[in-house]
Amino acid sequence: MVNKMYRGKTILELRKELDEKIITKEELFSHANTLAHYFQEDYNSFVTIIDKPKYKERDSILSGIPYALKDNFSTSGILTTGSSNILKDYVPVFDSTVYKKLKNAGATLIGKTVLDELAMGGTGTTAHTGIVKNPWDKTRMIGGSSAGSASSVALGIVPFSIGSDTGDSVRKPAALGGVVGFKPTYGRISRYGMFAFASSLDHVAIFSRCVKDASIVTDVLKGYDRLDMVTIKDDNKKYTDTLENDIKGKRLFYIKEICDKELYKDCNDKVLEEVLDKFYELIEKCKNLGFEVEEVSIDKKLLEAIYPTYMCISCAEATSNNANLTGIQFGPRGEGTSVEEIMFDSRTKGFSELIKRRFILGSYILQKENQDKLFLNAGRVRRIIVDKITSLFKEYDGMILPASGGIAEKFDSSSEKLEKLSSRYLILENHLAIGNFGGFPSITIPYGFVEGMPIGVNITGRVKEDDLVLNIAHQIEKVTGCKNQYSKVGDIDV
Amino acid sequence: MIEKEKLKKYAHLLMFDMDEEEYTTLQEEFEVILKQMELIEKIEGIEKVEPMSFPFKNTDVTLREDEVGDYLTVGEVLENTKHQVSDQVKVPRVVESGE
Amino acid sequence: MFKVVIGLEVHCELTTNTKNFSAAPNKFTDYPNEHVSTVDLGLPGILPVANKEAVRKALKTALALHCKTPDEVIFDRKNYFYPDLPKGYQITQNTKPMGINGYLDIMVDGKIKRVDIHDLHLEEDTASLEHFPKYSLIDYNRSGVPLIEIVTEPCLSSADEAVTFFEDLRDVFLFLGVSEAKSNFGQMRCDVNISLMREDSTELGTKVEMKNINATPSIRAAIEYEIKRQSDLLLKGEKVVQETRRIGEDGKTYSMREKVDALDYKYFIEPNIPSTPISDDLIYELKSKLPELKLERYIKYTEKYKLSDYDAKVLSKERTISDYFEEVLSFGSDIDLSVNFVTTTVLGTLNKLEISLEDFPITPKTLSGVIELVHNKKISLDHAKKIIYESIEKKENPLELIEKQNLHQIDDEDELLTLIEGLMEENKEIVRQYVEETNMGAINFFIGQTMKKTNRQANPNKSKDIIIKCLERRKENEQI
Repeated sequence: MVNKMYRGKTILELRKELDEKIITKEELFSHANTLAHYFQEDYNSFVTIIDKPKYKERDSILSGIPYALKDNFSTSGILTTGSSNILKDYVPVFDSTVYKKLKNAGATLIGKTVLDELAMGGTGTTAHTGIVKNPWDKTRMIGGSSAGSASSVALGIVPFSIGSDTGDSVRKPAALGGVVGFKPTYGRISRYGMFAFASSLDHVAIFSRCVKDASIVTDVLKGYDRLDMVTIKDDNKKYTDTLENDIKGKRLFYIKEICDKELYKDCNDKVLEEVLDKFYELIEKCKNLGFEVEEVSIDKKLLEAIYPTYMCISCAEATSNNANLTGIQFGPRGEGTSVEEIMFDSRTKGFSELIKRRFILGSYILQKENQDKLFLNAGRVRRIIVDKITSLFKEYDGMILPASGGIAEKFDSSSEKLEKLSSRYLILENHLAIGNFGGFPSITIPYGFVEGMPIGVNITGRVKEDDLVLNIAHQIEKVTGCKNQYSKVGDIDV
Repeated sequence: MIEKEKLKKYAHLLMFDMDEEEYTTLQEEFEVILKQMELIEKIEGIEKVEPMSFPFKNTDVTLREDEVGDYLTVGEVLENTKHQVSDQVKVPRVVESGE
Repeated sequence: MFKVVIGLEVHCELTTNTKNFSAAPNKFTDYPNEHVSTVDLGLPGILPVANKEAVRKALKTALALHCKTPDEVIFDRKNYFYPDLPKGYQITQNTKPMGINGYLDIMVDGKIKRVDIHDLHLEEDTASLEHFPKYSLIDYNRSGVPLIEIVTEPCLSSADEAVTFFEDLRDVFLFLGVSEAKSNFGQMRCDVNISLMREDSTELGTKVEMKNINATPSIRAAIEYEIKRQSDLLLKGEKVVQETRRIGEDGKTYSMREKVDALDYKYFIEPNIPSTPISDDLIYELKSKLPELKLERYIKYTEKYKLSDYDAKVLSKERTISDYFEEVLSFGSDIDLSVNFVTTTVLGTLNKLEISLEDFPITPKTLSGVIELVHNKKISLDHAKKIIYESIEKKENPLELIEKQNLHQIDDEDELLTLIEGLMEENKEIVRQYVEETNMGAINFFIGQTMKKTNRQANPNKSKDIIIKCLERRKENEQI
């Protein structure tokens, strides 16, 4: 009997079955749709589940493959909310470039996924349609902001999904959800139609369950777009072609000030210890694979400045980027007898508290009297950090670090919250933003479990060398034992 | 600590308001964040550095040729608002402040 | 008593095919919301894409105004909320404007005044609002239209200077071909800053700002009204309030709002438009194509060509006419005749037929051919002009017409003498009146007859000389 099971299969497996007519694209969609509905109540991955898909037969590897799209990508004729009340009824009249490319490749959109409101946040708890839960443990978050895109892949609903990554919004939830999250070089994939959070840091990024699938999707999405001036000229490479390249002698580094166990010996944190133990085990495995791995040291002060630098830049750009949300030409219009009152009412009702706080912070940072001290200094620190990492990339081919020092947080863990001024919080939990500062290609892959929850390792490489980062990650993936994993929760294998 | 009134003024300039409690939370958050921000200034030699506005120097930027491309139909322009008169977006009478 | 200090901020829409940051047409239409892209509407997820032509035109203008140009194109965001600004920010230039520290020389009361330009920057226009008693309507057609703003130093000291600068700047735009600069379409508008200071003081007075004035008479009226209003206040010992005022239809200015504290626009570099280098080659290319401007041409005409002030003004006012005139000269045509033909025949025809120079059928080369004939006395000035009018009417080449009608002047004295002798034989009574009664009218009579007989080809001066000679000889000889 032919195995017609869908859940958890990779793109290539599904492609083969489609090509061999073991399964049809309609069946694939129907399976994905069933799973999406089945898990929706418990996990809340979707803002919109599509029940009547539009199929397009295309000569593409993705033709007929189901996927999910973060609800901050503009989809013509399909509700796109940014998970915010201020856009709760917004149906765009145009397609984002990413959606257009996937449509043209014949991929089947099965739903728009929940995000932290307007992609600002890292918990998956601030969407206007409710919180997103971690497929490995419902009492835990999956992180954000691309929470629903992460959970839809971690639940095995779709083989891949699209997210956006401004600080770590794909690579962090990928780690906490036990899946692959890849953010290519800044400008590798067009941002046109992706709701802007912080334009100089915003990237389109991909979730999948293996590095190869992430490469396949990147191959389809990448390329210059005349609608996004920051897109870079296509390198005309197929990243899937170089995944098996020999990595012997490739040099990796990790940063002592981020992952040295000595730093945290007073924390008395079992989880953290285990995360780091597993990380060093992985480093040994990497060496066995033929990588040269070395520890480097970077000024701790510089690393501690990553998070505030990220906050300054992202909040400042965000307050401006979201100034178009006034209820005047789109979105629910507030009440009032003057335009000003209408804007005021629309925005007061439309944004949640967290967003407002970030906007106020951002506007404070941009104010004339603070701009040099905060905004421009953040830009200066950004350059120092990027220059430092870039100079390390002259000697090394990649940077390898634990994506987080912990596992997914519980929803009611307010008491366990990390001290916001601690080095551990500032550095270990926020270093992924380096990838956004410099636009470096950066990928998180799962490398094990701690207390039953998945953990992720991050590999970041030189700008424009996406192929090398994927090549390295694909090789490391072979020794993690976590390839193609998903939460088998819910006894519903279709 | 930053005064609540100031925060309210900032909020109003951004065209929204918050609850009293939310301002209190923000006030506390500002404390922490401003302390974090101080970490930025501690970086040595910072004053000599040119602020970075783009992740890297993109050397193949091209300006757009001045040729008409895609644009919206009148229907699409007005698609997302119910408030329209004579194919224009209707708002309460604007008193010119001469911005 | 008081020194008047005026600074202008002049906005001018550039002529391009598309908008500054989108590929929607930049074209006038009566129909609202017809030329709008996702970008112009500020929809979520849109990104600006900068227009090369707008950048070139802004740079060209900056160079014409002797500005220093930047090494790269960078835009900034100016953040504020207003219903005509769909994105909630305007893309403009603050960090590196297209030009800084330039100047434009203008002529006021026959004297050259250098107006210092602080900067010229490229930005986008807002949507337009139309106001009705109970509501306003937003039309996004204008949203994103490329706009340059030229900010002068506060160095103008009278309404005359301000108005002349505004008008001369318009001529710069027209000479450069960067804009049609039509005030009545709002393509060119200006903000006026004005303050008064005591003659003996070095301290600037309180500045009053007047926004969005687009017609020259209004600029003059607003300034004159403000000078009077502010000096009255100061004389009474009262204070001028720092505020924005608008000009009413009655030419008076009215307070719009007091400047409580200046709005903080929270400028920062537009992250979606990566910096693009401006090459030396581009600057060289743009510079080498810059035309001579109005004042330079005026000075050339008066000093080099020795034209009258009036003629120089007429001929330098519009680029097409000035270019036409200079092209006529380039064929070596006589300067005075060229001035005469261009200012009377050419401009007269344009006026009469209400056409522009592009539609004028006679090329500078043809006109210079006609002028050559006049200059060599092959044809009279009077005739040449008649022929030109006739050729325009008949849609023919005037040189061919002259050829066809054999209109070359009869210069041969023997030929004229024979002809005139003959006429005198035929009109003995007239000759008698001259010989016996010294009736000078006889001279004109014979000139008229000569012209008639020769189909106006006779050289009038020579004919007159011969006629007088013949009549005098007869008088001496008492011969009729």
